[in-house]
Amino acid sequence: MALVREIYKEFEEIVGIGNISEEPVVLETYRCVAAQSSAHYGPYDQRTPTPQAVLLPGSTEEVQKIVLLCNKHGIHFKASTTFWSAQGYIGSDNAIQLDMRRMNKIEVDAKNQLAIIEPYAIAAAIQAETMKHGMTCNIQGAGGSTSTLASTAGWQGPGPSSIFTGTNYDNMLSAEWVLPNGEILRTGSAGSGDGWFCGEGPGPSLRAIVRGVAGTAGDMGVCTKLAIKLSPWPGPTYLPSTGAPPSYKADLYENFKYYTLCFPTWEAWAEAVRMIHENRIIYIGHRQFNMFGCDMKGAMVNILSDPNKQLCDLPDLLEDEEIKKQTESMRIDVQVVIAGMTMLDMDYKEKALDEVLRMVGGWKNEMMLKPDIANWALLYLIRMGRKNLNYVYCGAYEGHFGLSRGNYFYSASLVEEASAIKREWEIKHNHMAAVGGNSSMGGLGGVGGGGGVSWEFFAHFDAHDKESIKGVCEYFNKTNQWMAQKGLGGCMGKLNESSRRPDGYNRSQEEFNKTFASTPQPEVFVYQWMVKDAFNPKKLSGSYYKTLDPKAFVEGSGAASRGVFI
Amino acid sequence: MNNTIEKLIKIAGEGAVQFSEDAILPHIGNRNFETPMRPMAIVRPQSGEQVEAIVNYAKENGVPLVPVSSGGPHYSSSSAPSVPGAVIVDLSGMKKIISINRRFCMAVIEPGVTYGQLQKALADEGLTISVPLAPKINKSVIASLLEVQPRLNSVYQWNYIDPLRCMEVTWGDGNRMYTGEAGGGVRDLNKQQAQGKWQINGAGPMMLDFCRLLTGSQGTMGIVTWASVKCEQLPQIHNIHTVESPSIKKLCDFTFEVLRWRFSDELMIMNAAYLSTVLAEDVISKEKIRKQLNDWQAIVGIAGKEMLPELRVKQLESDISDIAKKLGLNLSPQRKEIEGADVLGRITSACVGTHWRESYSEEFAQIFFVTTISKTEFFVNAMNELAKNAGYPVKEIGVYIQPQHAGTSCHCEFLLPYHADNLAQVRELFFKASAIFSEMGAYFARPYGIWAKLQFEKDPLAAKHLKTVKKIFDPKMIMNPRKLSTATVEVAK
Ligand SMILES: Cc1cc2nc3c(=O)[nH]c(=O)nc-3n(C[C@H](O)[C@H](O)[C@H](O)COP(=O)(O)OP(=O)(O)OC[C@H]3O[C@@H](n4cnc5c(N)ncnc54)[C@H](O)[C@@H]3O)c2cc1C
Repeated sequence: MALVREIYKEFEEIVGIGNISEEPVVLETYRCVAAQSSAHYGPYDQRTPTPQAVLLPGSTEEVQKIVLLCNKHGIHFKASTTFWSAQGYIGSDNAIQLDMRRMNKIEVDAKNQLAIIEPYAIAAAIQAETMKHGMTCNIQGAGGSTSTLASTAGWQGPGPSSIFTGTNYDNMLSAEWVLPNGEILRTGSAGSGDGWFCGEGPGPSLRAIVRGVAGTAGDMGVCTKLAIKLSPWPGPTYLPSTGAPPSYKADLYENFKYYTLCFPTWEAWAEAVRMIHENRIIYIGHRQFNMFGCDMKGAMVNILSDPNKQLCDLPDLLEDEEIKKQTESMRIDVQVVIAGMTMLDMDYKEKALDEVLRMVGGWKNEMMLKPDIANWALLYLIRMGRKNLNYVYCGAYEGHFGLSRGNYFYSASLVEEASAIKREWEIKHNHMAAVGGNSSMGGLGGVGGGGGVSWEFFAHFDAHDKESIKGVCEYFNKTNQWMAQKGLGGCMGKLNESSRRPDGYNRSQEEFNKTFASTPQPEVFVYQWMVKDAFNPKKLSGSYYKTLDPKAFVEGSGAASRGVFI
Repeated sequence: MNNTIEKLIKIAGEGAVQFSEDAILPHIGNRNFETPMRPMAIVRPQSGEQVEAIVNYAKENGVPLVPVSSGGPHYSSSSAPSVPGAVIVDLSGMKKIISINRRFCMAVIEPGVTYGQLQKALADEGLTISVPLAPKINKSVIASLLEVQPRLNSVYQWNYIDPLRCMEVTWGDGNRMYTGEAGGGVRDLNKQQAQGKWQINGAGPMMLDFCRLLTGSQGTMGIVTWASVKCEQLPQIHNIHTVESPSIKKLCDFTFEVLRWRFSDELMIMNAAYLSTVLAEDVISKEKIRKQLNDWQAIVGIAGKEMLPELRVKQLESDISDIAKKLGLNLSPQRKEIEGADVLGRITSACVGTHWRESYSEEFAQIFFVTTISKTEFFVNAMNELAKNAGYPVKEIGVYIQPQHAGTSCHCEFLLPYHADNLAQVRELFFKASAIFSEMGAYFARPYGIWAKLQFEKDPLAAKHLKTVKKIFDPKMIMNPRKLSTATVEVAK
């Protein structure tokens, strides 16, 4: 359905003729496979609805005018920036898509360890800018090409370095928002023009309404500017690299070291992680290459770090006795980078890490120590520029299980059981790549400084094959049941099932009420309803912000005895 | 006995409700020149359930509630009522340390748990918790975290509100729930812990960050009845060093450099007046100590913990010393002359006896706000100028600069001791300096008393949006009414 001409004209006047489009070919590119979870391209075969127009605003003022106009005409809107996620796409027919790519400034305030960024400042660019000042930023796990503002304001934001740098939740300082009703909110010190250094207060923090454990997925307006806390970068003013494409390698000083740490048992793994958390030893900590599968990772690393090897070499490499041995040696592993702020600091960290290994009976994998591989992995982890590899086997993957609760001793104790479930499915069915069952991966810093360990398993499937999609969906029903049985909540493959319908459209309030009235503490969703009602009364921007109508709360079974909302 | 008191007795028991003059007196606030206000009664609940019942009664009957967790004297005006007829909900009797988990360095505590009590229990487990500067002996850990009092070791603050994590809260609307990770599970702490959940992640749950509606709220949103806190390993070696200088600027540069590499444990800057106030036992020793001090000092704590503690301490001492040298400064172990006063012990431990702020003068006023380390010098110069003009002795002004959130911002505090005979002078100086600082860009993130007006006048939109939020969580406006008054009662113009 096209926009009424007058309304289209009004939008055009705001952003200028070259920054709005309703060409079908353009609109089609703003549709996404309606994934259940973040942006893992499936396993659904439906696409999100076609927007009525796509607008590229160039300033906060333009965004505000657009939002006010949407309110006037009852048009839904959703801002997205780098579009790695399904939740950034609109979910109704009566909606426009804001693409924030024109707003891309980065201002580094090195003296106060912060950067003020606009939406389309991608993480790699922020990193490059801040490295000039001896600093760096947290790059969330989706990689260097994602918008740091989007994952701070709009989604989650832990990444491999979060154990040292903090997550995007931790690093969020002042922010500027155009709220869904068109009002402006500047959180923290920026609200009074005192600077961008503090995101808290005055008094209770209004950032609470726009960023919880996850961001508000574009449902609470448009974030137009944000300050982030930076972290030290003890390297040169840029990230030097060598090697032939695509196997670039970092060329850093001795104060950067990459290791794959390996352990005899999951208990030893967890104990080592505990010590690493509490003793501030590492710069980056991520179980990364196991995403290729526990049987395949040795071979895959050999292919990826060598420009002369290709995927077709995989069968041969899998038969290579040495690679087999090395792969076996790193079944229970984690990739780490240590960075010495000085050489003395480096000396301490090297020794402390060795001591951790000694205490738990762990070792450093030999193959991963080879300079060609180690420097390739070092660049990979610092830059997070290789996210294409997540899709390497079949063109799509979906994260699942999500053993990411704070108690990683407990979740680590379940890895083998989870792996066995996946392995059985890999063997019995033909829906996803058979990689050895265990394809668990994730960072060590789900909470800044350590605490959470966020892990997902990869199911590599073919998003163009209906059988493959359907099979993986069935598999996720199974993993979901298992997660619930183990007291781990739902499977992350189903994380956003309640946010958007399989056909790509927004969920209705009735659907939400049904889902959330019986949650253990439904108050959470009622308050979200109230906040949304107060700041987004026309409900103009999607259904990722999950709500429970207060009336349904009182009627809801478990909640009735406690209900005092109405 | 009025209906409210009868009802409170019914909920909390006879001994838990007081309304005598003696009981009420300590709760009449007058800090920082605010108008004193008498509460009607004090109720001392013993559980989240009782608090929930009290809030629901208050909501139905329009009774203002003021939650208080620390023992007196109360230095921030937030714990005194701003309207007549209020009931103080005194949680200082809820003193249970519900759990300590060594493995995840987490503890769950009730609001009456004090730093002294918690540190002792944690030490038995090989743990400790970061503290605000030398808290008073009966300072509630939860209250200090909700007040966002600055911690001494900002490099451990990945998040601004660390080490506060999950909470149980009864909002002003009478609903009791858990926040953070704990809000995603059953509302039963024992059951959660039996499932191996240790309330580690304080964010959310979901997309609303409930904890941040409570931090800085001065009791205007709800009442917290337990909180989980992130602890740290107890250092095996813990040394304290000072770097002295006549120039605050140099020490700010030093502090920035140390923090930007994430070195040090405790790290702060104080002038001689402030440090001698913290360290001294009495007026005479204060003068003695002050004479030995340079104008400005950075205090640097260096700790070795579980992993190779000696090596860690050696490395940090050497690296921090190098930073000092490059700036023409000198990192020295705690000086002999002030060893009599154990700097480390004094700043990191709960203060036994009369609190140091009160030891040397009849009264004191405080002005504090958040700014950046690089800007503190301007505020110090301005304060000195204002004091000079007001005839207040500049050398009496205590200055304390505490980096926060790994140094992206800092708490900047001025301490103005006074006696009855210069009350009027200090009063005027206090108001004038607060207003001028506000104009200069001081961010009153914790807007007590008149700072609320100053801050919200600069940021009327925040006031407006906060009012909207307050209406959701406290629709009958019973929670500490008129605190943060511009924000929560009067709509901004
Ligand atoms: C390969 C892969 C790996 C991943 N790994 C991780 C991981 O390790 N850690 C992690 O946290 N997440 C991870 N994710 C999920 C990831 O966070 C999101 O997919 C990604 O951050 C969102 O994509 P984006 O950054 O391109 O932002 P977008 O897709 O542009 O936006 C993300 C959300 O923010 C909203 N948004 C965007 N811009 C604005 C704005 N200006 N104002 C208001 N709202 C806005 C959007 O509406 C959307 O809901 C991964 C995803 C993929 C595909």
